[in-house]
Amino acid sequence: MSKIFRYECRRLMWNRFFFGILLILLFFGYQVLNRITILGAARTAPFSPWSLGDYACRMLPLLWAAALFFLNFFLSPAARRAAALTAFTPVSLRHYETIRLGAALTAVGVLTVLCLGEAALFCAGYFHQNPGWDLLRPALITLVPALVFALGSGWQLGQICPSAIFAWMAVPILFRLLPLPAPFSLWSGQFFSEYPLTLETLDPSLTLPGPVLLLQMLLLAAGILLLSLSYIRDRLNSSALTGGL
Amino acid sequence: MKNICALIALEWGRLLKRPSVRLIFFLTVCSPAFGLFLYCPATADTMLSKYLANPALAGGAIGGILFGLLTIRERGREKRCGVNTLIDGIIPPSSMAFIRTAALFLTAFPVLLGTMAFWLPVSRFLIGSVFDIRDFLLSYVLFMGSAIFLAVLASASAFQIGGRADLALALFGIFAGLSLTLWSENWQLCWLNPCVWALSDDFSNLRIFRSAAYMRLTWAAGLAGLWLLSCPAVRRRRRIPFLSKIPSQAGTGFSVRRQVLRPAAALILFLISACAWAGQPFVDHSNPDQSISAFDQIPLEQGLTCSRRLVRLSPDTKRGTVTGTAVYQFQNTSGKPRTAAFGINPGYTIFSARVNGVPVPASVRDYQEFNEALLEVTLPGDSQMELTLEYGGFPREDQSLSTMQGSAEISGEYLYLANADLAPRLINAEPDSGVLPVTVEITLPEHMTVIPFGSPQAEIISQNPGGTLTWQYEDEGTGGILYAGDYIRQDIEAAGITVEFYYGRNHETVMEEAGAANAIRAVIQYCTDHYGPLSFLSGNTLKLIQSRVSGGGYAGGGASLLDEADFTIASLRDTSKGSVPGEVMIHELVHQWWGLSSMFEADGAWSAEGLTVYTTYRIVKELYGAEYAERRYVDQWKREMEDYYSNFYVRNPEFFQRLPEAKRLEITNRLSRVRQYCEMPLKILKAEQLAGGETAMDQILSRLFCREPSWEEPYLTYEMFLNACGLTEEDINLE
Repeated sequence: MSKIFRYECRRLMWNRFFFGILLILLFFGYQVLNRITILGAARTAPFSPWSLGDYACRMLPLLWAAALFFLNFFLSPAARRAAALTAFTPVSLRHYETIRLGAALTAVGVLTVLCLGEAALFCAGYFHQNPGWDLLRPALITLVPALVFALGSGWQLGQICPSAIFAWMAVPILFRLLPLPAPFSLWSGQFFSEYPLTLETLDPSLTLPGPVLLLQMLLLAAGILLLSLSYIRDRLNSSALTGGL
Repeated sequence: MKNICALIALEWGRLLKRPSVRLIFFLTVCSPAFGLFLYCPATADTMLSKYLANPALAGGAIGGILFGLLTIRERGREKRCGVNTLIDGIIPPSSMAFIRTAALFLTAFPVLLGTMAFWLPVSRFLIGSVFDIRDFLLSYVLFMGSAIFLAVLASASAFQIGGRADLALALFGIFAGLSLTLWSENWQLCWLNPCVWALSDDFSNLRIFRSAAYMRLTWAAGLAGLWLLSCPAVRRRRRIPFLSKIPSQAGTGFSVRRQVLRPAAALILFLISACAWAGQPFVDHSNPDQSISAFDQIPLEQGLTCSRRLVRLSPDTKRGTVTGTAVYQFQNTSGKPRTAAFGINPGYTIFSARVNGVPVPASVRDYQEFNEALLEVTLPGDSQMELTLEYGGFPREDQSLSTMQGSAEISGEYLYLANADLAPRLINAEPDSGVLPVTVEITLPEHMTVIPFGSPQAEIISQNPGGTLTWQYEDEGTGGILYAGDYIRQDIEAAGITVEFYYGRNHETVMEEAGAANAIRAVIQYCTDHYGPLSFLSGNTLKLIQSRVSGGGYAGGGASLLDEADFTIASLRDTSKGSVPGEVMIHELVHQWWGLSSMFEADGAWSAEGLTVYTTYRIVKELYGAEYAERRYVDQWKREMEDYYSNFYVRNPEFFQRLPEAKRLEITNRLSRVRQYCEMPLKILKAEQLAGGETAMDQILSRLFCREPSWEEPYLTYEMFLNACGLTEEDINLE
């Protein structure tokens, strides 16, 4: 299994697309850091969790798109044609699917870590600060649920209509354009630049209001559920079959 | 070639029949509607900004993205359908790439025409009486049409570089996304959405159109080069370990001519693009640090005085350029050669410099500040000299205002020349008799009226063949500002002052409906009643000139500026402001009292702006009501000040020092503005409360205004103000 996982990881990360998207992400990240984050979000330091959270929010649409592009490796018409062959291998299809999703998750994780590394280098270079946990916390809150959901929803959507995942890439941008209520501000990219202003203290520590946290947890749960939907469906089918017998 | 044309026509016909192209056609035609509600980068209140620039820009951004996606989809079609090998066998892939791109270009034409045909009546209806067909056509062609062509080129190049649709999509997406977000404040970088903040209703907009066209052509050359360079990548590939398939030319049978010509053409296009980028003629390279002036530090040349100057100007209203001759009468008592320093618009070139008819060395330094470059002319040791400078060019605007271009408009409808744009501004020689008299002659089309900013009056001195008139006026000083255009003059009597009110002919109806004359009377009456009459006006007349939309105004001795956006049809429809719009006009008229009648020594937050903004607030309070004034002024000042004091870099200067210089200057410039325009008015408001209320403050300000300035103390200082209020600096410090 680990061999297949390594193979899939290599397939996703050792190609022109991965390095291309990585370059794009690093370039965009630098532009964001140098033009926006450097000024500090919501009157806080550029290396505060709020500013770095804002950076993570701005990187999210690209990471979301990258995650869906990785899924396209498995859902493209060419990959589907090859699926006829892999279906005859002794590996369980569900296991194979889990490995592939794991590889996609790993690839997105690598991209995310590199983007965060860029931010850490930026803070160290300009301000001699090691953001460490201040960078990780907002990134975990912002990126992990959204990216897990992107993979889960993209996978399910791709099963139904592979080209629909390209339209799904525009979802984070749409959220930014729509006038969403306050609990959704993390999705519309305004949370880190607006919420600290309502706290009436300077340089507040990172806190999340209940509804925002709940929505992120729901998003994460929905992502995990969608990722494991096929597995659950299989289990249900097999238990129904056992019950029937 | 004939075959290629036939194939392009065939491909174009095929494209037009595709349902996806028809959908994109429909969506692109509808896309300008987003500019009416959602995407409004042109923030000025003019009708053309709201109902022409914004829809055209939205159409360009959305249409560009749609066509980019279409291009990637079409280019990936063969591979998707598995017929790429077959097609490659029939026609060389590079030729096919050209055919596809050309067909997409052709598809963009009917889309653009359809959009224009649909939006022409809509725009005409929305814009009303100030609609102009030339502005409409130029807006849609430059803001929208060219965006679509660039997007096709960019996405085709992205596909050719990446060789796969997903990477091309990511590349194009980031390229478009950067233009719409992080690059949108850089006029040369925002390839998809040009920096257009305003279009004028009353006057021409040629400069902003030229700027957008230039930016688009710069990108077009660069992207065409990229397209050419990436084009062979679709021809033949060989595998190399891990990364990619790279183009391989060896042994493919293509002629050497092709192998060399294409990269050479690409290189030339890149060079054109880079040269156009670096040598752009619109914006100067002024020092971004606006807190210092190196030119002010240039010492006066000992023994060198100037007794008179003459300026003759011939603007080319078709090309937007100026050519002129400036003559300076110098006296040199030192007997030694002297170097005369001038400030000159960085866009101008010195064609010749002669002293008493003999050529002398003249050089323009690279350093620029406040929209001026330093010109140095070596003068001989003669006692009496007549220096003649012939100069001209396309005036550049200050780089700090690069996202708000258009103020240096020169056309058959409008002209604005200020200080170093008018003629080289003498820096280091004293006037012979205290003031430097100047005669200005300017030749313009006969329908244009010349209005010197200040007390001078221009007169026609000759009628020339070709439908031009030469105007002349006498003025004083080393600089000077000149407006010209198709203006109407209305004389307004207020508080013993005659206001010569100049506004664009297109604006006549709006000015009448807005009651502009009444607003002017109300402001002058208010200031005269509360602070005292203006005593320095020549002949008791004051000029109020409507400028092309510029985002603000200014005032000078005997003249104030009125921004076009102060009185628009849109502001008439906005009933929330009460009956009198035009707050910028109020501000600039108030400057006649604070800043011109009373001179201020700028010291930190203290400047003429503080009292002017405070007085504007008081007038607005009287005209629009206390609630409106509180909301629009006091709340705004408080918000800005809260932002200022809470700013991370204000609280932590040690981190501020670690920033790159450009960022430091950006922050400093923004914060100094907040201190002058928000902190000081708030302090004056606090002083008003401590001093006993509005009436008491009016009496204090009246005393300060009517005081007799002495040679020792010509300026109204912060200390004088505090003493008059009986307060200390600490008393009015903000919490």
